[in-house]
Amino acid sequence: MSAVAHSMPPAVHGSLAHSHSLPARPEGDTSESRVAVLRALPKLKQRQKSLIGAVIALLALALSLVLAVNIHVANSQYEVVQLQNEQRTLEQSNQALTEQVQHLESPQALSSAAVGLGMVMPAEAAAFDIGSGEVTGSAEAADNGDRPSSFVATPAAPGADAAAPLNVSESVTGAPSGILGSGALNTLINPPSGQNGQQDSVQTRSEFSSTELNGGTIPAPSFD
Amino acid sequence: MAAAAKNRADRVLSFRMRIGLTMILVMLMVLGGRLFHVQGLDPAGHAQAAVSERLRSVPLPAHRGDILDAQDRVLATSVDRYDLVVDQQVVDDFVRRDESTQLREEVPVETGIAELSEVLDMDIETLTERVIGEDRYSVVARSLIPQESEQATEIGIPGLYAEPVSERSYPSGSVAGSIIGFMGSDGPLEGVEAAQDEALSGTDGERIFEVGGDGIRIPVATFEEIPAEDGQDIRLTIDQDLQWFAQEAIAKKSNQYNAAWGNATVVDLTSGEILAMADSETVDPSDPGSSDELFRRPLALTQAFEPGSTGKAITFAMALEEGTLNPTDSFTVDNRYEIDGQTISDATRHPTLDMTAAGIFARSYNTGTVMIGSEVPEDTRYDYMQQVGIGEAIDIGVGAETSGELRPPEEWDARQHLTTQFGQGYTTSVLHNLQTFQAMTNGGVSVPLRVIDSYIDADGTEHPMETEAEERIFSEETSEQMLRMFEGVVDYGTATDAAVAGYRVGGKTGIAEAAGASGGFDGHTQSFIGVAPLDDPKYLVSVTVHRPQGYWRDWEVTSTFREIMSYVLSSYDVAPSGAKSEAYDGFEGENQDQPW
Repeated sequence: MSAVAHSMPPAVHGSLAHSHSLPARPEGDTSESRVAVLRALPKLKQRQKSLIGAVIALLALALSLVLAVNIHVANSQYEVVQLQNEQRTLEQSNQALTEQVQHLESPQALSSAAVGLGMVMPAEAAAFDIGSGEVTGSAEAADNGDRPSSFVATPAAPGADAAAPLNVSESVTGAPSGILGSGALNTLINPPSGQNGQQDSVQTRSEFSSTELNGGTIPAPSFD
Repeated sequence: MAAAAKNRADRVLSFRMRIGLTMILVMLMVLGGRLFHVQGLDPAGHAQAAVSERLRSVPLPAHRGDILDAQDRVLATSVDRYDLVVDQQVVDDFVRRDESTQLREEVPVETGIAELSEVLDMDIETLTERVIGEDRYSVVARSLIPQESEQATEIGIPGLYAEPVSERSYPSGSVAGSIIGFMGSDGPLEGVEAAQDEALSGTDGERIFEVGGDGIRIPVATFEEIPAEDGQDIRLTIDQDLQWFAQEAIAKKSNQYNAAWGNATVVDLTSGEILAMADSETVDPSDPGSSDELFRRPLALTQAFEPGSTGKAITFAMALEEGTLNPTDSFTVDNRYEIDGQTISDATRHPTLDMTAAGIFARSYNTGTVMIGSEVPEDTRYDYMQQVGIGEAIDIGVGAETSGELRPPEEWDARQHLTTQFGQGYTTSVLHNLQTFQAMTNGGVSVPLRVIDSYIDADGTEHPMETEAEERIFSEETSEQMLRMFEGVVDYGTATDAAVAGYRVGGKTGIAEAAGASGGFDGHTQSFIGVAPLDDPKYLVSVTVHRPQGYWRDWEVTSTFREIMSYVLSSYDVAPSGAKSEAYDGFEGENQDQPW
């Protein structure tokens, strides 16, 4: 059943597809080729054009959106890596600085710094009651030569070579049972060879010449 | 006719199509069933095996907690370090871009190793040994700071990479070193680090995911992450500054007499907090191998010695408590006393004196003490000594405690019945002695000693350490009387050097004979335990020096006590009262100035 093409009247927009203007059938003609043919196609062509166009445009838009997102994500990943590196560097430098601060805050470091500034150990202090003005005790001036002892060694600066970890197995073999090992028992029985038999390290302050000191305890600031 | 033919054709066509469709459906069903069988039922375990092949589990390490002092200063913390590791099979000549010329240059392995030896400050032979070989995993250098490890990896030797490790850092070195403890190669070995390892280390987390054949994580497959639970920080009761000061002071004293060891301990007697536990030599936790084994643990915990005259305090206290004694009771004291076939003599040949009990205590006469102590039945004496904790281990949370040695009265030999009254014939540690004095000075109430203040979670929640309950051992009256007797010791007795200007101070000296390895006495232990201020007792300081050398009359530890106690009183803002002494008179009659 092939569709029969006819010359077409001008299209009418919005009208339903109608088969009209059929050529008059001759009487008695029952051929099937005379079945009405829908002429919807020409009317929809424009609409379909715009629809197809719209669909294609939408598709293009969606794809470009996906492309844009992907580009953004890829760029951001570079940023992320860079920021992560920055963060790691900052964390490391922060930790290094914190370690330095903790080292400088240790009592031994503070004591050495104080001695370096020329401070000495205090002598007897008296106290007075602010309310009543009573003085309890008697104050003494500090002795200029009274430096603090430094039996407790200054801790290793951060970042210095780490000591080898303690290998306990070496000291365990042959140790007598009990709360102490052989090394401790040895120290208790034999004369001490450690720190207790030695002098403490003498703390010295930086040496200034008498002209620099000019009668004081630290040199005055100078221009050179 | 054509319509009928078409219909028949249609029907045949659709019939064939139906058959085709059915066949396809059947095949799909078979496929589906097989899929279900292989993947779902999985009788041969292939699917499970495949999953376990793909599954990877990566541990998320927990951050180890810090150890802090009473004022939240850091005593121990973890820092990031790097181990330099090389896959020796990959090491070869390599190519890298020269910085200055921006040209690619070929670098032979030897040059790379030479540059590495400069960065690491190691000699080339050792380095070559570690880098060249057949191992897949060889450690080149341990514990590098991040800067160094970056410099090392930037050289570009193939197969050389940095593994992050966490290392323990002890910023204050040997201050409180034996209390903090230290780490060995496998884990913590001593001190708080070891005893509280569970709380400090937390729980590692885990990240479970699936990887494909190329090693990349499969995004839509299993991904579970169990976050790591960081370890708790531990706050100690130790005051870092006081600890340092006490360590310096006791080192000076031990050095002066060339003693085997010395210990100075400061305790807040109302709360049982140990503010400082200082040894004459202390381990530096960053370098434990260089210290003698004796000093790797707190001496106040590990060393048991015969306390000597400080043990008279408990004898007098129980006599007061039992009512057999009043501090002003008078006794006639000779320098020798015979009882039960044994002769007890005093350290000095003093004339016969008419003294009060307080005077006997102040001058630390053994003879007078035995007169007083014999009034109390032995079993009662033993009972009191057990109540204050002598002979039992004291757990302060550091591990390594000794229990001392106190045998029951049935096992005492003929002399021990008497010598235990003045501190010989049993052993105690410094903490046992402090615990005894704490009960006597805290209104008779014994508070357990502790060194751990609280546990702090990663989010800041604090959990104070739970301690055992307080126990009343003496009455308030006994405690007050003992305080006044302690004052007498410092006022006119054996410890006049211990006085701190402006404060009322009390205490008890002790020289004990120390037993040697062969069984006889061949040394001494000199000690002093003092309390201040007596108006409202707050702090106990004990100074002990073991096996000092020289003549015993030259030894004194009261100067060290005075140094430490003045420091404690001034830094904890205890105002001097300037009040007058309330010590009991030592001697009968008007003349209190009797010869020694």
